[in-house]
Amino acid sequence: MSAAMRNPAAKPEAAQGPVVAVRDLRAWYRLRLFGVDREVKAVDGITFEVRKDEIYGLAGESSSGKSTLVKTIAGAMRPPLEIVGGEIQFSFMDGTMGLNRAPADLVERVRWRHLSYVMQGSMSVLNPVRRIGTSFFDFAFRHMGLDNAGFEAAVVAHLARVNLPASVLKAYPHELSGGMRQRVTIALATICRPQFIIADEPTTALDVVVQKDVLAMFRSIQREMASSVLFVTHDMGVHAHLTDRLGIMYAGRLVEEARTPDVFARPRHPYTRHLIHSLPRIGDDRPRIGLEGTPPSLANPPSGCRFHPRCVFATERCRVEVPPMEQVAPDHRVACFEKDRVEATP
Amino acid sequence: MRAYARYAFGRFLQFLLVVFIGINIAYIITHATPIDPVEHTVSVATAFGHTAPEAIESMRQSLRELYGLTGSPIEQYLNFWRRVLVADFGPSLSAFPSPVSTLIGRAIPWTVGLLGVATILTWIIGNLLGGLAGYYRRSRILKGFGIVAMALHPMPYYIAAIILLIVFGYLWPILPISGGAQMNVARDWSFEYVMSVARHSILPMLSLLLVGLGGWFVGMRSLVSNVVTEDYVVYAELAGVSKRRILTAYVMRNAIAPQVTGLAISLGHIFSGALITERVFGYPGIGSLLVDGVHAGDYSLVLGLTTVSIVGVSLAVLVIDLIYPLIDPRVTVN
Amino acid sequence: MFVVLRDLLRYNSEFLAGILMTGVVVAMALLSFVSPYPPLDQFVAPMDVPPSAAHWFGTTSRGQDLFWLLTYSIRNTLAFGLLVAILSRILSLSIGLLAGYRGGWVDRVLMSINDTFIVIPLFPILVLFYFVMRDNMSWVMLAVLTALLGWSYDARLIRSVALSLRHREFTQTAVFSGMRTHEILSREHLPFVLPIVFSTSLNNMNWSIGLEVTLAVLGFTDINRPSVGGMIYWANQHSAVVAGVWWWIAFPVGLVVMLFIGLYLLAISMNEYIDPRSRLERGGGRKE
Repeated sequence: MSAAMRNPAAKPEAAQGPVVAVRDLRAWYRLRLFGVDREVKAVDGITFEVRKDEIYGLAGESSSGKSTLVKTIAGAMRPPLEIVGGEIQFSFMDGTMGLNRAPADLVERVRWRHLSYVMQGSMSVLNPVRRIGTSFFDFAFRHMGLDNAGFEAAVVAHLARVNLPASVLKAYPHELSGGMRQRVTIALATICRPQFIIADEPTTALDVVVQKDVLAMFRSIQREMASSVLFVTHDMGVHAHLTDRLGIMYAGRLVEEARTPDVFARPRHPYTRHLIHSLPRIGDDRPRIGLEGTPPSLANPPSGCRFHPRCVFATERCRVEVPPMEQVAPDHRVACFEKDRVEATP
Repeated sequence: MRAYARYAFGRFLQFLLVVFIGINIAYIITHATPIDPVEHTVSVATAFGHTAPEAIESMRQSLRELYGLTGSPIEQYLNFWRRVLVADFGPSLSAFPSPVSTLIGRAIPWTVGLLGVATILTWIIGNLLGGLAGYYRRSRILKGFGIVAMALHPMPYYIAAIILLIVFGYLWPILPISGGAQMNVARDWSFEYVMSVARHSILPMLSLLLVGLGGWFVGMRSLVSNVVTEDYVVYAELAGVSKRRILTAYVMRNAIAPQVTGLAISLGHIFSGALITERVFGYPGIGSLLVDGVHAGDYSLVLGLTTVSIVGVSLAVLVIDLIYPLIDPRVTVN
Repeated sequence: MFVVLRDLLRYNSEFLAGILMTGVVVAMALLSFVSPYPPLDQFVAPMDVPPSAAHWFGTTSRGQDLFWLLTYSIRNTLAFGLLVAILSRILSLSIGLLAGYRGGWVDRVLMSINDTFIVIPLFPILVLFYFVMRDNMSWVMLAVLTALLGWSYDARLIRSVALSLRHREFTQTAVFSGMRTHEILSREHLPFVLPIVFSTSLNNMNWSIGLEVTLAVLGFTDINRPSVGGMIYWANQHSAVVAGVWWWIAFPVGLVVMLFIGLYLLAISMNEYIDPRSRLERGGGRKE
């Protein structure tokens, strides 16, 4: 790792090669319940990439398919979820299907070494009957190439980075507070200095004060290691503070993607506008406008643009045709036929 | 450590409650029934031939004492408890003058041996196979085993035992079907004797195993298939922790805790089953003694065996409860 | 209700098998009402005849037609199981609902007692009961005692459901509208636990019938009332297996085993229908 990359100030301006590139990915749940077949198209044609040393945010409501997308990239699929089409390419391994069709020994070598996770629900991601220290051993020991004493010293040093005492290694998960557990999972996910970290709603269950604390720590560790992060949360406030670029998902598709400040300053998709306008702001007394209608069912999504039943800009074309993702500015892509009208509307 | 002491104390109170209620049930059954056991025994004893009235009266008196029916109701109740607490149930009627406690003491090792080995074997094999079946859901062998286990599981112990008896006793007689050991072998720790005991225990053991296996298998299979979807398992898989360690330290280790509780809960049922099995195979344990006692009208023996069973089973449950925190560290917190 | 039944029959082979097996046993029990032989008659048929056209299941060494005797026996055995199930349901429902709804020390006390009944070995107690009662013991008394001792396991299940109902909004509404505890339990909570009650009563029947068969085989029930266990008892008394009269044992054992498996299959397939988690698993599992 070069000194320049370690320097927190060295933010890459131009696009470097991506750590992960996802092309036209489709992942569906195929269910059969008492003779009735159902297909839930939770991820339906998504293309994006996460670059070196950036935090890429993924936003959307709770049933927008972002968790499924993350699961698919992470290779954490179980039936009935399956990949129907598309590609996932990592910079640190060959193949175009990511972890999903790779040989088991390769997957085992890559996981946690190059690709790690911070997950939602810090209570439930740690094995309740195993001490924290044993979990560190299970997860990281084989990647570190250290002897027992060296490994323990490395773990203790790394724990200090997230302000945790060495004594947590002797504790069981239920003996720690929620904030401490979340810091344990962050330490666990970063100890091998992976190139790519997936963070799926890591702070959702925490109270606001602890959340801020954890996010700041997460940011500083990312800067220090120059890792790439795919950060998923429905909380636009968190995205505004943390992420470099931001993708907005709606009903299994990506509808807009841009640098985070641009998303907040110049949203081009009606749904993005809605998300941003529904954020509370100091000194803004305008009433918040709720969205008409309900989130679409992914088992039976609307035709054309999936947002059209709830969209004030919708035209006849939106009902029939699927809007393609188009470049509208550097690093800014939108999937909307009426994007110019949206931008022109105050 | 203090949390554990509090937990252990709670379990000990529960143990006392079980013994208290159990012994009271035995007391109520023997004392609150409309039938007078003394008159019943007297009438049976005097049904044939003439007996002098004085003899009948003295018999009645000694039976009253034996049954603890002398004195006021409170005296009777306290007397009942005294006998239970010092494990003195008086002499056996059918094996007079051997004390009941000697007879029971002679039978207990057989029952504890058979029951202990069978229960532990059944529990380990059933949970191991069930856990594997829940983890490797596609395995045909394990699926087939599941169907067999499901068919055997609802069988009462007696039926399983009698089917084994017919198959290995009459249709294909290769195993001893009765007794605890061969009659003409000296009862010491010689190889020959131990082998004889082992051979005689195969069929009773097998019938306990066949009936018990299914329950653990089915239970563990569904526990495991729930545990594999838990976040900590998914997380460990994402971390590339080896499959073997995930299966043992993450999946099985977490699924086994409810099965330990399950063992404590079903111990009474398994114990009853073992008594019945002993009877079918003429195994010289508590079960055979109990049935013989009933047929011989031996009140002290039957009452003694009932109370010993209640205390013994609840003691075993207490032991399981006390080691449970080793399996699940969370339990002492609440 | 009808749709549920149809779906279960069509897509759940365990339920179908369970219905068929239980159905055969129940049909057998119903046939007793048209039996040409009174149940207690002996030496009305030739002795020890193997299964034939005249006597489908053969005859016993006591000159009874095995088929028709078995119809009475299985009827009595089923009646015993049903009575125990109904009586123990009353206990487990009231205790489970009360413990779950009231919580606190009521819950703790009731569950301590409950756990006691789970642990106590029943067989020696029932044997002791027989020992005291002897010939005065009737099947109804045995059923009452079995129910008194056999409610605890299901009470715990019902309690866990009631516990979750306790904090639901409609319970609060009922409390504020001034309903009394027993009204809330019987009107608001009972409907929620009924599906579980149904599936657990099938398991309970299996358990109690198994117990009755066992006691009867050992001669610890009213041996003059025909029952499946009683038939095996008499067969053993006549050393049927040694004498080669295998059908005397085989048919009662076969029929009662069919009942056990049938009831068990019904119980687990209904459980699966009640618990959506295992249903989803099945949905996913089908794809493999």
